[in-house]
Amino acid sequence: MITVSNLYKEYHVTQKGKGLGGTLKALVRNEKKIIKAVNGLDFHVGKGEIVGFIGPNGSGKSTTIKMMTGILTPTSGEVLIDGRNITKYRKDVVREIGVVFGQRTQLNWDLRLEETFELLRHIYRIDKKEYRETLEVMNSILGIGALLDKPVRQMSLGQRVKGDLTAAMLHSPKVLFLDEPTIGLDFEAKYALHEFIKEINRVKKTTVLLTTHDLSDIQELCERLLIINDGILVDDGNLTEITEKYRYMKPGTA
Amino acid sequence: MSIKKTYSTLAHYLSVTIYSIKMALLTIVEYPSNILGWLLSNPIQFLLGFAAIRFAVEQFGEINGWNYGQLAFLYGISVISHALSMIFFVQGWFMGFYVIEGEFDRFLTRPMSVLYQFFFTNINVFGLTDLIPGILVFLYGCVKTDFPFTVTNVVGILVMLTGAVLIRGGIYILLGSTSFWTKSANDFGQFTQEIFDKTTMYPLSMYPESLQLILTFLIPIGWVSFYPTSELLGIEHSFSTGNMGVWITLGVGIITMLITGFVFQTGLKQYESAGN
Repeated sequence: MITVSNLYKEYHVTQKGKGLGGTLKALVRNEKKIIKAVNGLDFHVGKGEIVGFIGPNGSGKSTTIKMMTGILTPTSGEVLIDGRNITKYRKDVVREIGVVFGQRTQLNWDLRLEETFELLRHIYRIDKKEYRETLEVMNSILGIGALLDKPVRQMSLGQRVKGDLTAAMLHSPKVLFLDEPTIGLDFEAKYALHEFIKEINRVKKTTVLLTTHDLSDIQELCERLLIINDGILVDDGNLTEITEKYRYMKPGTA
Repeated sequence: MSIKKTYSTLAHYLSVTIYSIKMALLTIVEYPSNILGWLLSNPIQFLLGFAAIRFAVEQFGEINGWNYGQLAFLYGISVISHALSMIFFVQGWFMGFYVIEGEFDRFLTRPMSVLYQFFFTNINVFGLTDLIPGILVFLYGCVKTDFPFTVTNVVGILVMLTGAVLIRGGIYILLGSTSFWTKSANDFGQFTQEIFDKTTMYPLSMYPESLQLILTFLIPIGWVSFYPTSELLGIEHSFSTGNMGVWITLGVGIITMLITGFVFQTGLKQYESAGN
């Protein structure tokens, strides 16, 4: 379902010296440095898998996710979603994906939740009948029905995340990407999110890829872990294997 | 793209636009005090500007061969195209902010043109407050010049306004897109508006010829109101546009959009999002 081949992302950064002198000098002579955020990734995620994408901050996790979701253009290599290149055919391929950013909402802040859903219904050209059915399903899992009339600015974080999850699933995407979805959530909300992911995976066979630092997310959801550091894939295996492998390692020696 | 697909895509974009307008109106209802402030302050700005013209004409008789009614017509129609560009394209002023804050991420994950989403999912209904004084001054000018509302003329005005809004919007897109390369949020909005004001609300022929050439062939601001209006009112100016003034404006508008749209797409490829 997701195939990442030979993926690279480089950034060109101008080196600025310290202080005012450095800044002025940079105007005249530019020292460019190449930062390799993603340095050759290859992996495949099959349909219906729930995969955890983990690594330290600055490991290239977010950069990779952004290339997989059509936000960034790879320097080289490709990302295929259900066999199609997402960079080349963005507008078509993003129909098959849903994205939830833990730190940013896609909901319209000023209006009732349902207004955002209606807008998305138009953007994704969702059939009215299908839309109502999907909302029914979301209601049974998350209780979103009670929140439809509420202006987003009045919602708690937990409610807002439920709104974002529903928004991402309205068009029944084949793949759901979640970038740190449980940040700031209390136990109850985290539980609801875990149940939600397991349920959509069970019922709709949705492939799920999530980045997280949260242990309970990993334990509850991830059959498989992709570990990334310094822009490369450091390990790929199921949770038990990996726990065993690193159990007796001292931090910093991996 | 086949005809069926083109039609279907246009229908799609239209339906999203209509819904976005509805959402913009709903937002006003949520915060009604906002529009009250605008309703009061904005029209005053333009009516004062117009009062200045009236004063100048009373003192000097005419400006460059344009009489009072014609000046009102020009002023009014410029404010109208300004208001329309504020309704649909004012977001362009904030493109730099969107670039450095990573606000384009969400648009890129949705199955529509990013440029379209940037402008049309955030329609600025407050621009209507500019539209009202513009229409008033324009109609006043029509009356004073005995402007005949023939079918040709009405079509001419609509064509001209479309072209004018496309030119204005295109220039905002071009300036905003520079942020993809400079990676900073340049605040060019106010100052661009000043330039637009001074070159569209008064006859271009007032300005030195070198400036007129620049504003005709390099930065096509002359086509926003001066040339098509001259033609509609039958006023002579330095070069002849035949009977095609308004259509040239539309053409210039479309070309401007194509060029600046291309610049935007190129910049978008370099888009780096923003941390987390």
